[in-house]
Amino acid sequence: MARTDVPVRTTTPPKPRLGLGADGTASPLGLIIKIGVLGVVAAIAVWAAFPLIATGNWIGLIILVAVSALIFYVYLSPRVIPAKYLIPGTLFLIVFQVLPVLFTLSTAFTNFGDGHRGSKDEAIAAVEGASVQQVPGSTVYTLTLATDGDPATGDIVFLLTDPATKAAFVGTADGLEPLANAQQSADGKVTSAGGYEVLDIGQISARSADIVEFSVPTAKGAIKNQGLSRAFEGTPQQAYNNDCDCITDRTTGQTWTANGDDGVFVDGQGQALAQGWKVNVGFRNFAEVVTNPVIRASFLKILLWNIGFALGVVLITFGLGLLVALVLNKPELRGQRLYRSLIILPYAMPAVAMMLVWRDMFNTDFGLINRLFGLHVNWFGSAPSSMFAILLVQLWLGYNYMFLVSTGALQAIPADLTEAAQVDGARPFHAFRTITFPLLLVALAPLLISSFAFNFNNFTAIYLVSEGAPFPPDNPQAGATDILITYTYRLAFGGAGAQYGFAAAISVFIFLIVATISVVSFRRTHALEEIN
Amino acid sequence: MAATDTIQAPVDDQPPSAVVRLGSARGGWFRQVGWRHIIGLLALAFSLFPILFVVSAALNPLGTLSSSDLVPSGASLENFRKLFADTSFPIWFLNSMIIGLLAAALSMFVSACAAFAFSRFRFKGRRAGLLGILLVQMFPQFLLIVALYIMFAYVSDLWPAVGFNTRTGLLLLYLGGALGTNTWLMKGFFDTIPKDLDESAKVDGATHAQVFFGLILPLVTPILAVTGLLGFISAVNEFLIASIFLTDDSAKTAAVGLYGLVSEERNNNFGVFAAGALVLAVPTVALFQFLQRYIVGGLTAGAVKG
Amino acid sequence: MHSTRLSALSAVAALLLAGCASDAGADAGTRPSLLIWTGGGAGGEATQALGARFGEENGVDVKVQIIPEDLQTQFVTASQAGRAPDVVMGAHDWIGNLVQNATIDPLQMTDDTKAGYQDLAIKAVTFNGQVYGMPFTMNNIVLFRNTALVPDAPTSIEDLVAKGKALKAAGKVDEILALPIGPTGDPYHINPLFTSGGGYIFGTKDSGDFDPSDLGVAKPGATAAYAKIRALGEGGSGALKRSITADNILSLFSTGKAPFMISGPWQLPELKKTSVKYDISPVPPFAGGQPARPFITVDAAYVASRGTNKALAQEFVTNFWSRPDVGTSLYAATSSVPALKEALATVRKDDALVGKVADAGVEFGQIMPSIPAMAVVWDPLGKAEAAVVGGADPGSTITAAASAIQAQIK
Repeated sequence: MARTDVPVRTTTPPKPRLGLGADGTASPLGLIIKIGVLGVVAAIAVWAAFPLIATGNWIGLIILVAVSALIFYVYLSPRVIPAKYLIPGTLFLIVFQVLPVLFTLSTAFTNFGDGHRGSKDEAIAAVEGASVQQVPGSTVYTLTLATDGDPATGDIVFLLTDPATKAAFVGTADGLEPLANAQQSADGKVTSAGGYEVLDIGQISARSADIVEFSVPTAKGAIKNQGLSRAFEGTPQQAYNNDCDCITDRTTGQTWTANGDDGVFVDGQGQALAQGWKVNVGFRNFAEVVTNPVIRASFLKILLWNIGFALGVVLITFGLGLLVALVLNKPELRGQRLYRSLIILPYAMPAVAMMLVWRDMFNTDFGLINRLFGLHVNWFGSAPSSMFAILLVQLWLGYNYMFLVSTGALQAIPADLTEAAQVDGARPFHAFRTITFPLLLVALAPLLISSFAFNFNNFTAIYLVSEGAPFPPDNPQAGATDILITYTYRLAFGGAGAQYGFAAAISVFIFLIVATISVVSFRRTHALEEIN
Repeated sequence: MAATDTIQAPVDDQPPSAVVRLGSARGGWFRQVGWRHIIGLLALAFSLFPILFVVSAALNPLGTLSSSDLVPSGASLENFRKLFADTSFPIWFLNSMIIGLLAAALSMFVSACAAFAFSRFRFKGRRAGLLGILLVQMFPQFLLIVALYIMFAYVSDLWPAVGFNTRTGLLLLYLGGALGTNTWLMKGFFDTIPKDLDESAKVDGATHAQVFFGLILPLVTPILAVTGLLGFISAVNEFLIASIFLTDDSAKTAAVGLYGLVSEERNNNFGVFAAGALVLAVPTVALFQFLQRYIVGGLTAGAVKG
Repeated sequence: MHSTRLSALSAVAALLLAGCASDAGADAGTRPSLLIWTGGGAGGEATQALGARFGEENGVDVKVQIIPEDLQTQFVTASQAGRAPDVVMGAHDWIGNLVQNATIDPLQMTDDTKAGYQDLAIKAVTFNGQVYGMPFTMNNIVLFRNTALVPDAPTSIEDLVAKGKALKAAGKVDEILALPIGPTGDPYHINPLFTSGGGYIFGTKDSGDFDPSDLGVAKPGATAAYAKIRALGEGGSGALKRSITADNILSLFSTGKAPFMISGPWQLPELKKTSVKYDISPVPPFAGGQPARPFITVDAAYVASRGTNKALAQEFVTNFWSRPDVGTSLYAATSSVPALKEALATVRKDDALVGKVADAGVEFGQIMPSIPAMAVVWDPLGKAEAAVVGGADPGSTITAAASAIQAQIK
């Protein structure tokens, strides 16, 4: 039965080694389409190349040329036939899925997260910038932004007025000087001054970067603008000192020394400044996953429910979906099309909103389910009822998908096969079990595996319905309906800021688990694949 | 019983299982069709009753979500009026339709091509590739957001035409997922088509492209329609990526725009949101109505005979 | 030959297409522009209108973008990727995280400007001695009561429960009190009861800042408070129930099924659409207990550190966003208390209810801590609350929550 890997043989005459007609594109229509598509590829490549050249991004350009060359090679060569079909999807997959995954995985070896996102230099700049305070007793000036010379290129200057005395000054990169020839408005704002160009809002906007850079040095600090019409004399209270690799507070004298292992500045008591930076931490995140007592205590329980949940969802959604598809698959059934359209409706509704509706229906005192059946069950108060509720919601959200796919599958199964079975006198159920169902499995087994993999990490299904509840009173970290991903989320993002590095490390472990399960079940599809 | 069944069109016979189990001594109509209505109605009730709350909320002028009031405190179309008059919903809706249809069509095509390769050719790395596609999908999406954002920040600087707040950019991003579940789904279907079919076509001189476009694709019309619909629904309802990608009011899809109405924790806009969700479901149902003729009855009995 | 010609053709097609594409690309406006990010809801829409006003007054293109999901995280991510907006609107308890990620700049507020604001508003936006945001609205929860059922405000929780019980016994209402708890608790809404029972979350340093090393949840006062809360719970008088959530309190109260509701002024716009008669008073304390202190949250405008047009952003935040007319416009959209004294005075003349919310806040309110350690408190404390309301032992439950919190405070 099983075919060996024999390359597909063609009976057409030998083709030129390379060229548009090389792989047997026989029809003129095919040729025209091919030219068109390759033309578009070339056009996109040329279009994409301009900005790369303009910005001097040579590595990007090399990649672009290589990818374009690869595409041309694949479609002009008579070989690599599978690649012709795979290349579009693969390119998208690599760029938009594989690369982000790799980037994220690489953060597992860092302390990347809130407070540790940038470089050390950025952290220093942030610490210094955040510590700028107005020099005590200094003036808050009324400001007019101007340039010395051409508004587009001249040096930025501040035309300043002391609001109390109405005395005018000009502030340049060299310092503050009195301004003699200033015209002032009633409130003292300088409206023009000889030799300086007062900037309008458009010109200010164009010079925004220069204005941010600019300050007027003074004896005690520097004058900075605050908006477009005010300037103040400020000074950073904290400054970085290269010699001790530390930050010192000018007023209190307190120092925070850089700790390169953790990416923070810490003082003698171990208190760190808020702004840290990203550093490599090696396998520390992985070690923490393994040694974390909370994780160790709850891991097995969560894993078991996680597998049960994913498996359960696949089985019940597929079971009900297939049943309804079989039942409705009869042309004599009046209103068949209407049934089908309305049954898929849950799939067309925004899932997030519907999960909230369901959560509300499970409300102990006011929920429809308890009222309808005269119950008083606290659904999210005990593990079995909470699990039941979650599975029911997933059944509702997912069975229509399976219904749709099964309906398509039933149509695609060659009718003559079942026909033949029935001519042979097989009873209908027997025919279904021996012929229809195995064929359905050939068609749907891959989907069921991928559905399992999806549900294994179905974050919203848990998070929006039970949030993991019920939680034992003495452990707010691991709920009875938590799956690994919701649990991860709580550990890595529930606390003080997001810890992406830690989350990535946990997800590597989750990935290994779900991948193992999927690979094993995938192996078993090998037989199914070769069924005909 | 089997004998009467064979007289009917072959397609009808596929689900005969339940007939046996339920086919009691009742009348023939019930045995053939009637019981199917009962199951159909039950499935319908299960599908629809949570949606009644959404309908109720959409008609309720008091904009809260609460299943304790299935009967709205007052019925009005005020929420629908607000939706169209006070929000940019018409633009969002249009964006959703354009992105949904294009994403559905393109990703259907891309994954059909890949599924053909995986089903019909035996090449090095085939099973590894199939597995790889699956494994990549398993990575938790919410962890990828930062990486995608940083990547598109570069893209937006270099090529604003496909950067943030563009339909094309979002479309490209969605195509990244085209080689995913749908490829697996379609590959399963391609596998059910006997290989003798393409073999004999090749003996007759057909190229691989002719086999694919001329022979295989028409045979799997039902599943193309199904994946097209699934692609449309998932693109229209996708929120996580779209919400970081589209920040301009005029670029938003309906899913992003509608969530903006209820995003505040203490929101009271649920009625307008519900109205929008219902309006957004209309094209999906319409598309399904349209595609049903391809899904059902897209095949004639003899088409597969080799 | 054949294929060479075709190749040439496709090259021509390529150039043509490339030409079209690059034409469509560049069209950068020269007008100055300002980009503002805000959350959704009524405040978002009002911000759009106000942004347009600033734009007209100054000849600037103001773009206000509504970020529906997780604005804080998205703002941090965008800043990191170099695509931050110029201004972002957000709650004051974001400040700690925004500062540690170097995403917002301190503001230099003159004493005059500061004096124009309610003291608590300025306190809320001050972090490590620096003012980071320009406050605009502030909120705190209060007690709503159905005046047709309960003419006079209850003087204590015990009084409230007695009145509610009597109404329930008479068949006039179904529930005693609509206070959101839900399956995983709601420490924000329970805080008046928690503090009145003797609990606190973080102590304060001499400077007035919250002290993460003084965790009140681990102290006996918290256990005592939770014992009182348990007595109101499902096993006690039934005033507190996990089935009452933020989603159903308004319908319970507005349909007369519950005579009392503890919530904030954000309910007012919807409440005004219903026929229920109601009034507002401060959340009462337990008889003989500590004052019942609601959290005060402040919404503020922040200047992004990595915005492209910082001077304009500063102008918008410090000089425009602090204007009284802006404050009253925001009130009109959100029914929240204006942070600016002058705007509050204007609003109070027409809307006595907002005045009552503001007075309750000034008298009893407590700034919601914005220190990063607060972020680890919500989840464990809420779950402890839900468990105790359901009947769990207060002592062991609160101890477990406290140790979970302490383990995460670094």
